[in-house]
Amino acid sequence: MAKPEWMKEAPKPISSILIANRGEIACRIIRACQEMEIEAIAIQSASDEGALHTELADKVVTLLGDSLAETYLNGEAIIDAAKSCGADAIHPGYGFLSERAEFAKSVTSSGLIWIGPSPEAIDSMGDKVTARRRMEEASVPVIPGREILIGIDEDSTIDSLVDAATSVGYPLLLKASAGGGGKGMRIVREPKRLQQEFLAAQREAESAFGDGTVYVERLLENSRHIEVQILADNFGNTVHLFERECSIQRRHQKVVEEAPSPILDEETRSAMGKAAVSAAKEVAYSGAGTVEFLLSSDGSFFFLEMNTRLQVEHPVTECISGVDLVEQQIRVSSGLPLPFSQNDLSIRGHAIEVRIYAEDPSKGFLPATGPLAVFIPPEGPGVRLDTGVRQGDEARIDFDPMLAKLIVHGSNRGQAIRRMERALRTFVILGATTNIDFLIDIMQHESFISGDTTTNFIDLHFSDGWLSPQTELSVAVLAASAEQLGLHRNHLSSSTEESGRTTSNDPFLIISRSFP
Amino acid sequence: MVNLRDSEGRNWLIQIGGSPLVPISIELDGEKIELENISILPDSRSNRIIIKKNGIEKIAFCAKIGDKWWIHFDGNVSSVEVIEPGASDVGGNEGAFSAPMPGKVLEVLIPVGAKVSEGQPLMVLEAMKMEHRILADRQGVVSAIHYSPGDQVDAGSVLLDLESDKSN
Repeated sequence: MAKPEWMKEAPKPISSILIANRGEIACRIIRACQEMEIEAIAIQSASDEGALHTELADKVVTLLGDSLAETYLNGEAIIDAAKSCGADAIHPGYGFLSERAEFAKSVTSSGLIWIGPSPEAIDSMGDKVTARRRMEEASVPVIPGREILIGIDEDSTIDSLVDAATSVGYPLLLKASAGGGGKGMRIVREPKRLQQEFLAAQREAESAFGDGTVYVERLLENSRHIEVQILADNFGNTVHLFERECSIQRRHQKVVEEAPSPILDEETRSAMGKAAVSAAKEVAYSGAGTVEFLLSSDGSFFFLEMNTRLQVEHPVTECISGVDLVEQQIRVSSGLPLPFSQNDLSIRGHAIEVRIYAEDPSKGFLPATGPLAVFIPPEGPGVRLDTGVRQGDEARIDFDPMLAKLIVHGSNRGQAIRRMERALRTFVILGATTNIDFLIDIMQHESFISGDTTTNFIDLHFSDGWLSPQTELSVAVLAASAEQLGLHRNHLSSSTEESGRTTSNDPFLIISRSFP
Repeated sequence: MVNLRDSEGRNWLIQIGGSPLVPISIELDGEKIELENISILPDSRSNRIIIKKNGIEKIAFCAKIGDKWWIHFDGNVSSVEVIEPGASDVGGNEGAFSAPMPGKVLEVLIPVGAKVSEGQPLMVLEAMKMEHRILADRQGVVSAIHYSPGDQVDAGSVLLDLESDKSN
């Protein structure tokens, strides 16, 4: 088979990639592979058999065992699978092994191409404590914070914790050094809860990342979460693809993301972009990465962390920049230079992403489970769905509760918001509770519409929690009618129903209808 | 006659009849409410049903899972439970405190016999790698605890029995 055009100049051609992930991001990467004529190999745990990503892939390898450690976190088995399938490269997606330098190292030393930055870059950025030190060296501003020394016994550790907390001051944030996604992170507002929250954060970090190291950082309230996407090749070219604003979060997990930020002026945008490029250059970064900043209300910004991988919310950047980030990751890893420079990049329009979670916003966002008995995604101009599930699947508790990401692109922010609301209203998911109705309320919220989005948005505007709208009379009548009609019993053979408007097989009946 | 309970716990008693189907009588929590000009038409595609209100037809999506009808109508989703004639009332077990989600018990924070106040943490569950505190929704005395740390629980599993505090 002839090589695809893009690969002809590549020093290290990639014609087969094993995707060491699952869910929507595995599907996203498989689709990029298909467009680049690269063979895509999926992995699955036994419980994921038949999942969407395994259906889209060209090949599937089943990893034995039930636990994450035996499957999606099992680096050795994944490398073996890649080798036995003849893969050239491994793409880690996000989460799982994507930020484990050890894994990146093993991939490279086994003769495979690692689609990501060097293990050294992952190490210095992945460990948040080291990253803070490196950024201070590169003159990128960091949030005031302190490390906690793990003593020989619990008492001396607690002493160090209390010391660190006292010097940073309250309210403060306990953060897992290996962390991300809000796991192993705790807000502490008063000293009496410090120890308890520390132990919980440590435990959560230990179970999620296998590393219980926790540090203390000043909690900057009313700040905005703004992150800059960067791309770097192996020839010293590093560009930024502007910012994303991800201020709307619950439990420190992002819910709504947009690009560009509704409030950033050109000057701050360019200063942040430059800081992000410096941060990346400091660690000789290669591939796609994200530098996160907190923007405080006085306009100053602080380095928060760098995510050395593809980000969940990367699609909004793809919309406004016109750059396919996964394609660029693969090209860079095959030794090609970036095909554009900073001056070639500009912002077009506005994009918004919402994360569709299986959770109950009216019960403190508790995870929900259930069958996705009906799953009808929205369609239309400027609408993109990155999903890991389809109708007939089930929302389960063994993985993250995120089912899908819905992304819209409009010519300006107002149009994007209206488009998102329209799309959400036509997204039908029956069988498992989701946050869709809550997201509609956010799209309609005047503070969101005016761009007034700080990280405490949900706590501030939904301080008493969120109430689902009261069941309408129409809904009760619909349910009673559906029950009476026995729709649950005969929905597979509805064309044989006697009553009402059923499709007839007689074509002349259709012809006699008038069409607009 | 169809008996439904909505997510707010309200009880609907609805009589539907005729062709096309129209509501003949509707009671909400025992009170008759005014009938609106609504009729219901079936649709040939599965999981769909048509509602005609004041002359305007709209599609709703519906699916029944267990005893619950999930309805997507006018951009919002609701679920209502069908109460089979003769079935006992909700849960049937007033003092029971059940798991709001499936997960693993990490910690039990109170012993049997403990007096708890509303909002007090009772247990810590882990689901989807996050910890969730189970809070008392009322004050009372813990008369039994059914799970220990490490146990897996399903949504709705009775975690502990919480009896009303009679001394108060």
